[in-house]
Amino acid sequence: MKPPAFDYIAADNLEGALSALSAAGGDGKVLAGGQSLMPMLNFRLARPSVLIDINRVPGLAYVEATGSTVKVGALTRHHALEMSPVIKTHLPVVAAAMQHVAHLAIRNRGTIGGSLSHADPAAELPMLTLLLDARIGIHSPRGRRITDAGDFFVTSLVTSLEEDEIVTDIEFPKPARESGWAFEEVARRAGDFALAAVGVTIDARDRKCEQARIGLMGVGETPVRAHEAEALLRGQRLSDTLLDEAVASIRSAIEPNTDLHASSDYRRHLAGVLAKKAIRDAWRRADGDRQ
Amino acid sequence: MTEVVTKQSAEEAALDERQTRPKNIGAKVKRTEDPRLLTGRGTYVDDRRTPDALHVAFRRSDHSHARILSIDVTAARAVPGVVAILTAKDLTEATPVHAESRMPSYYATPIRALASDKVRFVGEPVVAVVAESRYLAEDACELVEIAYDPLPVVTDPEAAVASDAALLHEEAGTNVLVQREFKRGEFETEMFAAPVRVKGRFRFHRKTPAAMENRCYLAEYDTGRDELTLHSSTQVPGIIRNALSEALGMPGHRLRVVAPDVGGGFGGKASLYPEELLVAFAARRLGRSVKWTSDRMEDLTATSHGFDEIIDAEMGLDHDGRVMALIADVIGDVGAYSIYPWTCALEPVQVVSFLPGPYRIQNYRGAVRAVATSKAPTGPYRGVGRPISTFVTERLLDMAARRIGVDAREIRLKNFIQDHEFPYRIGSGIVWDRSSFTDCLLAACKAVDYEALRRRQAEARSAGRWLGIGIASYAELTGIGSRISVAPGMPLNTGTETAKIRIDTTGGVTAAFGVASHGQGLETTLAQVVADKLGVRVEDVRIIQGDSNAVPNATGTYASRSTVLAGGAATLAARIVRGKAFKAAAHLLEASPDELVAEDGRIYVPNTNKTTTYKEVARAVYLEMGRLPPEVRGELEATSTYDPVLGTTTSSTHIAVLEVDPDTYTVRLEKFVVAEDCGKLINPLIVDGQVHGGVAQGIGAALYEEVVYDQQGQILTASLVDYVVPAAAEIPPMHVVHMETSSPAIGGYRGMGEGGTIGAPAAVANAIADALAPLDIEINELPVTPERLFRLIEAAKSRTGDEK
Repeated sequence: MKPPAFDYIAADNLEGALSALSAAGGDGKVLAGGQSLMPMLNFRLARPSVLIDINRVPGLAYVEATGSTVKVGALTRHHALEMSPVIKTHLPVVAAAMQHVAHLAIRNRGTIGGSLSHADPAAELPMLTLLLDARIGIHSPRGRRITDAGDFFVTSLVTSLEEDEIVTDIEFPKPARESGWAFEEVARRAGDFALAAVGVTIDARDRKCEQARIGLMGVGETPVRAHEAEALLRGQRLSDTLLDEAVASIRSAIEPNTDLHASSDYRRHLAGVLAKKAIRDAWRRADGDRQ
Repeated sequence: MTEVVTKQSAEEAALDERQTRPKNIGAKVKRTEDPRLLTGRGTYVDDRRTPDALHVAFRRSDHSHARILSIDVTAARAVPGVVAILTAKDLTEATPVHAESRMPSYYATPIRALASDKVRFVGEPVVAVVAESRYLAEDACELVEIAYDPLPVVTDPEAAVASDAALLHEEAGTNVLVQREFKRGEFETEMFAAPVRVKGRFRFHRKTPAAMENRCYLAEYDTGRDELTLHSSTQVPGIIRNALSEALGMPGHRLRVVAPDVGGGFGGKASLYPEELLVAFAARRLGRSVKWTSDRMEDLTATSHGFDEIIDAEMGLDHDGRVMALIADVIGDVGAYSIYPWTCALEPVQVVSFLPGPYRIQNYRGAVRAVATSKAPTGPYRGVGRPISTFVTERLLDMAARRIGVDAREIRLKNFIQDHEFPYRIGSGIVWDRSSFTDCLLAACKAVDYEALRRRQAEARSAGRWLGIGIASYAELTGIGSRISVAPGMPLNTGTETAKIRIDTTGGVTAAFGVASHGQGLETTLAQVVADKLGVRVEDVRIIQGDSNAVPNATGTYASRSTVLAGGAATLAARIVRGKAFKAAAHLLEASPDELVAEDGRIYVPNTNKTTTYKEVARAVYLEMGRLPPEVRGELEATSTYDPVLGTTTSSTHIAVLEVDPDTYTVRLEKFVVAEDCGKLINPLIVDGQVHGGVAQGIGAALYEEVVYDQQGQILTASLVDYVVPAAAEIPPMHVVHMETSSPAIGGYRGMGEGGTIGAPAAVANAIADALAPLDIEINELPVTPERLFRLIEAAKSRTGDEK
């Protein structure tokens, strides 16, 4: 289990990384935390001719709050995100989800940009960007572009990134005021990829749901938003009937895969019970606890 | 002084007590190997730096069952850095090794370093590329071209039994490599007469030991002397030496097998492997040192698997819950080869040997077939057979208890063999000596506060929660001696252990054994025994083990044998060495040897100022010729070999407390209690650690771990993402209670390294069935993954129409 030979370039700045990646002509891979890439190299599932190491590129690791957003640099380690007071204050659902991301040793190395670029449909970060309507900043020799998370994830392990592009930053809209949130996940073991997980945020006003966001992972080829269920909740008071309707909508909207660890049916079942709990908890935080 | 000792007299044991002041046996001595192992200063095989060693990569079969048509290595040979490429054709002078047995109808499959003619499982080594680095060897491996003619796969052990099934080994004429049957009493009439009968088809799915350290072999070859040393991450250095001697045609005095620090084995390193043969053969052929380190994918696909059985079993009971008869038919899916030296019979035969368990079940029939399939060979795995037999018997007892309406604790108490009945021969012929069958159950129930727990369960149930309590009791045969090991007629019989204890000119004590610790802390345990029996401190004793040169027959560590056998041998040898030292000391002190006492390295006459030390005695014996007469200047050394003949009975009860989440169907273990009787404890810390680790592996077997092959015989669990081993977060707090019924073995010890894995799967299965009793669900298949629970619960709900 040793990788085939490859060239290695340690880029000193973003321009250098971009030009090396461009020069590789589609045969280069960006090395950040290496937590997915190195196993793929060792299994010889990925055989790039050149690795472009961006760990020395300055200015890509940060978590900062601006007026209306929280910006996260792509080279930010998972553990930094997990511990960030900015995240705890403004995006508590992210802080809660981070505890389910693998193990500490992996969180210490793995990066946010790497997780998004790898696009595992059962990973937390891609789902969180989708859940929170994040915008993903991307650089290439042609300049900078920004894409919505919803347009970024194409299918399992495939994104809309061009072969000469690097993810550089993620911008989460800051909730206008405190919203309710919840994150629920079931995995075979602590730290494993999710069999299914659900993230929810709810904004409430006058005891009614003003806006609900429901994101799911592990239940399809990409993370998904349960738009129909969100629409059902909008403008309503939460009731058991409404909750059951939302759950039914979620279950019928997803098409989970069957693999070694769980069948499609079990994942659909999980998506439902986890969504039910998450919606209820998010609602309680948005409404009940503060009333 | 070389005869094998089978027991010690009461006078000899009394002599030890009179002449020493033991301080270590029974004490929580911290493991002396831990500072080294925990600070990264251990030396595993892969840590050994041998200049100019060559590295091996194997091209392995990607077919389950296929004929090898041709192998083209031209392109691979052209890769720079490649030194040699070996196929079966290059190994014609290597003799295949056979795990022979006298068992009737047994076929010993030839074990070769590389597949010749046919491949029989995905992952079987076919071509070995030897190169200057592992990277280059793997590059070249990719360029080897092998043409196969696929043959029908043999993945279903039940289908493989059919007379028209494709044969894995044509020479055998069948895929059934061995079959056996144990019968006792009127099992048929009693079963027919039984008013309560419970039965089921039980499935224990295949596991793999998954030791932390992958297997690693480094053969160092001395071309001038034609001497070969194999550094091997093995549990059985002497057994590997024997096999290499046969395969390479080299005598043992020019062959040495060393197992340095070894990072876990669990049985997976207790057998001979093709890679071991290849590395040794290649070193001699090339006149260079040759090394292979398994990667995790190779470990999961080509280290011996275990626990792969289908059991159809029925238990008949009277109205009070007393077992009248037990009948079982077992199919063991043993994989492609019969592993050396244990044979493929090891596990399946143990299943039927131990099904009657610690219970008075005199009417018994257990039949077993070991069936070859095109999967990795099975071999010993911690618990060997008994996790499966315990699962079946304990499940049947709980099923019966539920049917009759008697408590799970009561039905066991009714059926245990009672203290006055020992020694007791069970239906399969195994003889139990006295052990705390009943007391372990009572102690475990007390530790868990069983009555309060049942009350809590009733409350939880009425609140819609699925809380379960699972009991599993078992007995195992440990520390086996010559009479048991001779029974299966294997190529070598274990059953003895040798201690060679020596005091050098500085007073240092070196004790050499044939055992091979691979994590059990034997360096500490055995030092405690030697220290107490000599009357020195633990730090004065150095333990040599894991080396085929340590003693003439260094079989190794397996089958919960090392403490019983090596502890006994150490006691015998230490007594002789102490006697020699006392004779010399008596001269120096002008006292009688009978007056002397040894303590902490001092030898003295109590209540006098006559005192000397082992150090001074050694100096007088070896270096100061004027002080002692010649007849007491003999070397302070002794070698003793101990044979416990039958072995010891170890018993235990495990209780698992858990909850099944009624929404997600995930299992949360709340508490795990073990009451065990391993006789006299040498080191309670180490015993606790062994129980904890074994229970963790048993929980893995119950809830997480499963080797999966698809219908084409491709292995789907070739990484630790897919082969799910529990980690610390999955293991509940454990409480261990020790019963110390002395055993007939020297020192009163009983073996205990495996037991955790034996009880835990059954306890967890019973607890889940108990939790789900309101839904009338039985657990007959392990592991109980969330997916399996989902299907069981959904089926039960649709049965009862209780739609959620």
